[in-house]
Amino acid sequence: MKIPVGIPIFIAAAGTDPRFAKLVSRYLVSAGLWLLVASAVGLLEAFRLVHPDLLADSAALTFGRLRPVHVMTVLFGWASMALVGLSFYVVAKSAWLPMHKPMGRAEMTWANVALWLWNLGVAWGIGALMSGDVNSGREYREYPWYCMAPIFAAVAIVGVIFYRLIARRAVAGIYISCWFILAACFWVAVTVFMGYQPWFTTGLADRVIDGFYIHNAVGMWFTPLAVGITYYALPKLLNKPIYSYALGVLGFFTHLIFYTVIGTHHYLGSPLPDWLEAVAVIFSVAMIVPVWSSTGNFLMTMRGERLAISHSYSLPFLVVGTVCYGLASLQGSAQALPAVQEALHFTHYTVGHAHFAAYGFVTFLVWGAIYGLVPRITGREPPVMLVGLHFWLALAGMAIYVVGLCSGGHVQGASWGEGRPFTESVRDVMPYMVWRAVGGVLMASSHVIFFVALWKMRPGAFTMAFGAQGGR
Amino acid sequence: MPFSVHTSHRAILLLPAGLYVVLVLLCAVWPALRLKAEEARTPRPPHDALVERGRAVYRSFNCVTCHTQQVRGYEAKAFDLEGRRVVPVFTADARFGTDAASTAREYDWQDPPLLGTQRTGPDLLGVGLRLPGAQWHYWHLYAPRSVSPDSLMPPHAFLFTKDHPPPAEAMDYDEVVPIEGLGLEPGERLWATPDAKALVEYLLSLKREALGGTR
Repeated sequence: MKIPVGIPIFIAAAGTDPRFAKLVSRYLVSAGLWLLVASAVGLLEAFRLVHPDLLADSAALTFGRLRPVHVMTVLFGWASMALVGLSFYVVAKSAWLPMHKPMGRAEMTWANVALWLWNLGVAWGIGALMSGDVNSGREYREYPWYCMAPIFAAVAIVGVIFYRLIARRAVAGIYISCWFILAACFWVAVTVFMGYQPWFTTGLADRVIDGFYIHNAVGMWFTPLAVGITYYALPKLLNKPIYSYALGVLGFFTHLIFYTVIGTHHYLGSPLPDWLEAVAVIFSVAMIVPVWSSTGNFLMTMRGERLAISHSYSLPFLVVGTVCYGLASLQGSAQALPAVQEALHFTHYTVGHAHFAAYGFVTFLVWGAIYGLVPRITGREPPVMLVGLHFWLALAGMAIYVVGLCSGGHVQGASWGEGRPFTESVRDVMPYMVWRAVGGVLMASSHVIFFVALWKMRPGAFTMAFGAQGGR
Repeated sequence: MPFSVHTSHRAILLLPAGLYVVLVLLCAVWPALRLKAEEARTPRPPHDALVERGRAVYRSFNCVTCHTQQVRGYEAKAFDLEGRRVVPVFTADARFGTDAASTAREYDWQDPPLLGTQRTGPDLLGVGLRLPGAQWHYWHLYAPRSVSPDSLMPPHAFLFTKDHPPPAEAMDYDEVVPIEGLGLEPGERLWATPDAKALVEYLLSLKREALGGTR
């Protein structure tokens, strides 16, 4: 049996219910497996934008069907499950629940039911998409409704569990992490309901809902969960309080009010009502307030901690995640300006932006939180060499991918704006598609390393022997 | 205990939840209701089974992932000499065979309208005007680079068959005129399956008829 070297990790893990450790670990390992699936599919798609004839004989593997497989698996398999797994720990800790038995027997059972519902929804969704049962034209909800239903049920279950844990807290105050996590569960339930409601399915009414859905499924679910988890993980790993609690509160409410109303910025120049487009543009710029309340808060907390960061294998991920959150969101605000959007919308720039946010921001914060917090539950640390390799490969891959696609998007936008034939822009953008594939290879290989490191952190002999046997 | 978001779990659930629902009603449900009422004034288009099947094939292969059906423009208050409202087109979108930006009426009763968010391939809103020949679309679907050398489109050869269709169903198939670049052996024949035929029929129907089918 390997005993952890770090004393805080030893103490934290030795006091944790091993069944709780297993629950969190199951969510994270499921998420890690979905990340590998999504990366393989994404890589195939990236290669195809250089060699379109690759594996083109099968209808199930066709480009149009695999693209939502990649996106949906990343969103609902990888990011959602990893964020929810971490949220169990963050909610339990910030509610000051006794870690030897943070969750009751029934809650534990339901949390495991939600886990399997979630995996079922994602697996079934992949099958449906590949067989051609695509809810096409409705992005981020390409699953048919019956594949989204288990995921919706799982969100409802974990939302109720989080609420019960917070209601049972051992302190009077409710920490801001719990605000973000609890609210996200409610927000995403409303958003998914709106995405699948049967009343607005034709004409422009459907597109209003579409703009709302594609925007809010991302920013009222992944963003609040990732930010909420960072509000716990960052001060914890730096062993100091957050720079400003009030900034966090400001960020929470401005995010809610500004972010909810700007979905139509995905449809500038469309026949949707002008006032909706105007509201979207104005509040997209206003998003600078909530974004910098959080990122500024995180950066000020990190200030003066260069030594701690350079000696940590988890904090560098949080640094990258924070910086990418700030920059990707500024990029998003700029992209919502009509003049910018006229040139860059529909180009690969959008894909670059999406990866900057979903990968640089959400995924890096998730990795930082996993490496920083999971050893405190299982008592098992990842091999540092692997984590370092993971970090640099993922960072280099992401940088190449994002810079490549954003540059390629400019090339396309300039070509279209000059009125040259469309095929010319396809030819001109080819070098950037090669860079995209190169970045993709680096990112995907870092995910394999991440999965090995995650596997080394799973509950083991130490967790079972020392972990508090809650309820016994 | 005071009803404060800092100390009451009911407050921190209900306040953000309530605010969100109000904003959703204002910025999604209310405009959707108004647009739906506007749409209801347009009669539903006549039922065309082949085009509808083609649209289902288009959705099943998720063509919208690379092809938009949207010509963007600002809703500037500009009018032409006959007093009709003109919507100037974004220069980036001006190439797609039309001088008019998309209008609301073009999307009425489409479930869903396939405006798209990504233009890896060209816009298809007026493709039936630009490329009115079925054979061109067959060649392009079977082997995209046979007619468009720089195309990045994946071949959809599985929508075609080299076996002679059964005589009873021959009406549902279309024979493809062989050209160089399809990679056919001398004497080999190629048929578009009913799915391919329907898909092409759908593409040819994209003629912007709400604008009077004009360029």
